[in-house]
Amino acid sequence: MTEQQPPEEQAAPRPAAHRGPPIEVAEEVLDSRGEHTAGALRLALRDMALESGGRDDVPWVRIGREHLIRAVESCVRSPNLRMDMLHCLFAVDYEERIELNYVLFSLGNGHKSLLKVDVPPDDARVDSLTGVWEAAGWYERETHDLFGVEFDGNPDMSPLILYEGFEGYPGLRSFPLHDYEEW
Amino acid sequence: MTAEQTYDTVDMMLNMGPQHPATHGVFRMVLTIDGERVVDVTPHIGYLHRGSEKLAENESYGQVVTLFDRLDYVANLNNELIFCRAAERLMGIEPPERGQYIRVILAELNRLASHLLFIGTYAIDLGAMTPIMYGFRERERIQNMFESVTGARMMHNFIRIGGVKEDVPADFVPRVRALLDDVERGVHECDRLLTFNEVFLARTRGVGVIDVPTALSCGLTGPSLRASGMAYDVRKDYPYEVYPYLSYKVPVGENGDCWDRYYMRVLECYESLSMVRQCLDQMEEGPVMAQMRRIARPPKGEVYVHGENPRGDIGVFLVSDGTDKPYRVKVRPPSFCNLVSLRPMMRDAYIADAVAILGSLDIVLGEVDR
Repeated sequence: MTEQQPPEEQAAPRPAAHRGPPIEVAEEVLDSRGEHTAGALRLALRDMALESGGRDDVPWVRIGREHLIRAVESCVRSPNLRMDMLHCLFAVDYEERIELNYVLFSLGNGHKSLLKVDVPPDDARVDSLTGVWEAAGWYERETHDLFGVEFDGNPDMSPLILYEGFEGYPGLRSFPLHDYEEW
Repeated sequence: MTAEQTYDTVDMMLNMGPQHPATHGVFRMVLTIDGERVVDVTPHIGYLHRGSEKLAENESYGQVVTLFDRLDYVANLNNELIFCRAAERLMGIEPPERGQYIRVILAELNRLASHLLFIGTYAIDLGAMTPIMYGFRERERIQNMFESVTGARMMHNFIRIGGVKEDVPADFVPRVRALLDDVERGVHECDRLLTFNEVFLARTRGVGVIDVPTALSCGLTGPSLRASGMAYDVRKDYPYEVYPYLSYKVPVGENGDCWDRYYMRVLECYESLSMVRQCLDQMEEGPVMAQMRRIARPPKGEVYVHGENPRGDIGVFLVSDGTDKPYRVKVRPPSFCNLVSLRPMMRDAYIADAVAILGSLDIVLGEVDR
């Protein structure tokens, strides 16, 4: 009489084959300066933050797109933060979502931070920050050129770095590097 | 009926560029003019857009360095440095000390070359023909030095992830010392020739003034922001590489006009000279490249790194998905943001000063359009 061996546990189905060495994930650790900023950010955005993290001295906070203007204004007004410069604004295409990153700097208080806003690719639309910083206008036009994100309230959304009549959004991952129709 | 009631005045549109020698590349601006005053200015960029950020997503990390060479093509080494720093942060490696010293020496020499080019071209923008001869002569010496170290005059690809490509030649230190003496004499000559020249002062004093709040709102950085009176220098405020071991001053202006923006760069030349000298004194023998895999493969994650370029605060956002190609590279080009402040600077300026104001921002179109 032989006892039936229990079947060996099936390994979880492996995701699509990734060739090459296994993928490592970087640790995200804030230094003391970053912790200080992160604390002030938590206080300023306590009812809006969805997720947070950061590396070195740049903490990031993810917020809902409906809160963008309110979040930015509270970052500007908060006496601990006083974010006085929009250092950069750019999009990252993760295919299922487009992540907008607002890099806010406070030159006076020495803070650096990232505000992240996710928008779905089929409804990529967010409020414009042209009312807060003059620099936002060009960044928004550039992001619109390359990623097709609409910024409600920007008075001038004409193409900035692409020519008028360019079809498609070349920043997206789905846009081919070569072999696209040119005039 | 008075004249005002009878005749309606219409603002005139004047197109300047893209093929204009004073726009420093392919840059176009449409000036709206009321008589001799500029009412508004609309800059048009994008003539040099090469899609560097998109290209970078399809190159390996080592190859992206060569794309960064071509962004700000008069300060190549500073650009290479910022990308390598971003990749190193993500991989958690620290280049050896000698490598860092070589990087800072090259970056500061490149800053000198870039500022000397600015002094020359700015003088030519204002109609002074001579300073460009002096500026270019000194820049040429620095370019020759780069050629002997990196093998190329402009597109070096010398700063690599983890250090520098190879150690400097054996006679590097005495040759750089001799070079610094020559360049210092040249900078001093340009300075004496131009800075307090009465015609030059008349063309630049009180022209294109920008105050600190407007400058910050526009994202102005670098010498142009310091000219307005804000002492913000990434090397000082967020030190990187071996900058904390060096002692130097950050020149700060008062008025934020064209002359201040010019003079900040002249003063920075002297500071850079002293920084390179200190580096040469402190540098010790040792390895120049960190131990790492031949093919850089940063772990999955993202990082935002910024540093001080000759034109301002350059930022790089790097997203890695764990493979040998970056998932996304975003450059925050200083010239791009400095151009945003062109509009407030030009408002109510004289049309003759338009070139003086644009020139004082020291833009490089390769970086603006990417």
